[in-house]
Amino acid sequence: MTPKNYLYEMVRSELTWAVGDDNVQTNKADQLGHSIDYYWVPELWHDRGEKPTEPDFVVHPANTKEVSEILKIANTHKIPVTPWGGGSGSQGGALPIYGGIVLDMKRMNKVLNIDKVSMTATVEVGINTQHLEWEMEKAGCSTMHFPASIACATLGGFIAHRGTGVLSTKYGKMEDMIMSLEVVTPTGEIINTLPVPRHASGPSLTELYLGSEGTLGVVTKATLKIHPIPESRKFHAFLFKTMHDAMTAGSKIMTSRLRPCVIRLYDETETAKLVKRVLGIDRKGAYLVFGFDGPGEMVDLEMAQACAICEDGALEDLGTEAGQNWWDNRYKFFYPPYMFHMPQAFGTLDTVATFSNIEKVYWAMKNAVNENFPQATFIGHFSHWYEWGCMLYARFIIDTPPQDPNEAVALYNRIWDTAIRAAIKEGGVINEHHGVGLKLGRMMKELYGPAFTVLESVKKALDPNNIMNPGKMGFPGKGA
Amino acid sequence: MYIEDRQDVINACRFCFMCRHLDPVGNVTFRESDTPRGRALIIDRMRMDRECMKEPDFIDALYRSALSAANRFHCVSHYDETGLVLAARREIAGAGLAPEKAKALAKELEEAGFTVKGKGNVLYYGEFPALYPGCKILSGKDPGKALEVLGFEAASKKVFARFKKTVADSACKTLVVAEPSSYDFLRDKLPGVKVLHSAEYLLEQGAKKARARKAVYLESDFLKNYCGNPSAPRELLKALGYTLVPFGTNCEESYAVGEGAVVYDALNPELCQKLCSRVYGLAVDCKKTLFITASPRVRDALKKYNPAFNVVTLEEAIDAMQS
Ligand SMILES: Cc1cc2nc3c(=O)[nH]c(=O)nc-3n(C[C@H](O)[C@H](O)[C@H](O)COP(=O)(O)OP(=O)(O)OC[C@H]3O[C@@H](n4cnc5c(N)ncnc54)[C@H](O)[C@@H]3O)c2cc1C
Ligand code: SF4
Repeated sequence: MTPKNYLYEMVRSELTWAVGDDNVQTNKADQLGHSIDYYWVPELWHDRGEKPTEPDFVVHPANTKEVSEILKIANTHKIPVTPWGGGSGSQGGALPIYGGIVLDMKRMNKVLNIDKVSMTATVEVGINTQHLEWEMEKAGCSTMHFPASIACATLGGFIAHRGTGVLSTKYGKMEDMIMSLEVVTPTGEIINTLPVPRHASGPSLTELYLGSEGTLGVVTKATLKIHPIPESRKFHAFLFKTMHDAMTAGSKIMTSRLRPCVIRLYDETETAKLVKRVLGIDRKGAYLVFGFDGPGEMVDLEMAQACAICEDGALEDLGTEAGQNWWDNRYKFFYPPYMFHMPQAFGTLDTVATFSNIEKVYWAMKNAVNENFPQATFIGHFSHWYEWGCMLYARFIIDTPPQDPNEAVALYNRIWDTAIRAAIKEGGVINEHHGVGLKLGRMMKELYGPAFTVLESVKKALDPNNIMNPGKMGFPGKGA
Repeated sequence: MYIEDRQDVINACRFCFMCRHLDPVGNVTFRESDTPRGRALIIDRMRMDRECMKEPDFIDALYRSALSAANRFHCVSHYDETGLVLAARREIAGAGLAPEKAKALAKELEEAGFTVKGKGNVLYYGEFPALYPGCKILSGKDPGKALEVLGFEAASKKVFARFKKTVADSACKTLVVAEPSSYDFLRDKLPGVKVLHSAEYLLEQGAKKARARKAVYLESDFLKNYCGNPSAPRELLKALGYTLVPFGTNCEESYAVGEGAVVYDALNPELCQKLCSRVYGLAVDCKKTLFITASPRVRDALKKYNPAFNVVTLEEAIDAMQS
């Protein structure tokens, strides 16, 4: 290849020295692949013939030491480094917006240890989460992490975004699943957080990195909890006249401290559109489905109690079959052509709030979108439930956004700003499990208030040259 | 031309991540350009800007695909991702832009000629005539599938015309094909001739249990992912006394080391070696475990990079039980 310039060639030779020729790509095919993640804006640009920013180098480290060496090289030359897992993040977090190095973590994919006594596993976090689950199942256990993107994303990506899976109501989000982490700091030091997540030995360093989106370092290994395969898992579905009636039943299940593995409630619009299209259940109202797993007798007992709560206010008992149908097809919603797609503009406005606030948040967002953007449809379901509240997976969809990409992006951003601000006002936050990334960074100061300076100080101290994923999560961009 | 006809697949795959975990090449190179999404993005760029068709990096990525169709099989709506790549290869080769190695291979493959020997009403096309007493034997190289997969459409048609004439001249109304890629290529192309895979034919002939033996059956890309997953190979092996044990991390991933791309080892030896290494790595004991593949090409690749790897073809496995 012809040398681009002295610095470029210098960096390239140092990188290939660190990881080998085969593991530093500078070719057009990989640059294209890494210039577009699951964020709608680069997809739109591509669709309209524009070219999103490409990385100069795509580097595939094999181990923690190589990650450390790469970060040292990047620090010497003050080159941005953007970690990349599966690229399935929807917030533009993995986009190399300033070029530089994309650190593709997928080669670090080994299961290092399975501790059946403590029920934990230690793995390299570039592992694809479906591959990880298969490995655990071969060993007779499970991660119980079943996100819709199980086949696309890496464990590192989920750690970076505090991601979540379908069974989060019982088994927790990523932050509940992780025991400890190995991290390479922006300056290249290799550190480990404490081996257990519950302690009184100072604040939790593990928590600092959970959700840090590659801005504070590169996560290389994780020890996570694993679980026995449950003896029984059952589902049941009900139809309610309104979303409010269903929410009342769902919150009662949670506050009565039953332990469903999942609850999912679709609003009236999503029931009429998606539930009908994907599951073939054609009803007017709000579809609520839940499941329990564990020892058979306990599952039956808890299921009976949850059903009794629902029978009180439900329009129709859809039975176990309609519940099982949902579980069997839970990922189908995300495959083409069921998923929204170009030329549609769409965004997942996910947020979370207490049971006292969640319906207010829903209505505030819905009204904000409907009143200000009549061209947009607002739909939502409530996906991940806690003892104190639940997550709203709201979406806006515009079937024919403006043809001009700049106009389309401006409209898209306005909808986000309006809807998220409405949510924050009612006790919501800017995101629940997809993260902040490039998309929502501008709102971090607004959400955190003066507390954001704490995060900014941490970033400055850990990453003095601002090489780690600059311009993401509300932190300054390159040259700022 | 060809890629525009696949616009639905481009639209579905270019922003979709849902089957990347099954791309055999992506799973050993970890490159974004070795995923269905990566390839669809490249082809979409080519569609939007024809000049990109000349980009060597793009061409290289499309010729790296193992075309296993495991992705398509997994896909909820079975979008034809491999069909899209083949359409792009057709355009690339048609414009004279195929990689030099592909061109050289095509030259060799174009020379294929076919002969028939022996007597009988059934024509057998494969490497193990001893299993087919009373059949005529058709000999010759690839019937056009390899050329088709490389994108050389006209040359593929020419070779196939020769093959077809040879079959017609034999006057046989049944053709038994052993190599799965050839079976996939021929099964709908010979009007008036019943095309059977060798496992189907041998099962029809009746198989007797000889002795008990454990083996891993490495699923064929063509039989499983392209031809509707006929049960004959597994039924035949079981009838002969083989107990088939599961292999790998799951039943969806392809362990057929580039079978879908027909001449993968000749075109991409380093990648084929990596695919083989993945299979060796997953094997509990490469020497003791018996692996059975429907494809002689898969056997050859697996043996090439580890001569101690204990792999035989379906026909060899049958012969071993019967003799
Ligand atoms: C069809 C579909 C369905 C989805 N469903 C879900 C779902 O059910 N639940 C859910 O939570 N999300 C879901 N997502 C979103 C996405 O899968 C998650 O955000 C996931 O966490 C991204 O992981 P990834 O490996 O693809 O990360 P990427 O997109 O590659 O990166 C995401 C962020 O993590 C950083 N990063 C990656 N690896 C590391 C590392 N090792 N160290 C430090 N930083 C790192 C990147 O820099 C970036 O900021 C879905 C996405 C798709 C496409
Ligand atoms: S084949 Fe199906 S699952 Fe795979 S990328 Fe294409 S649309 Fe997605």
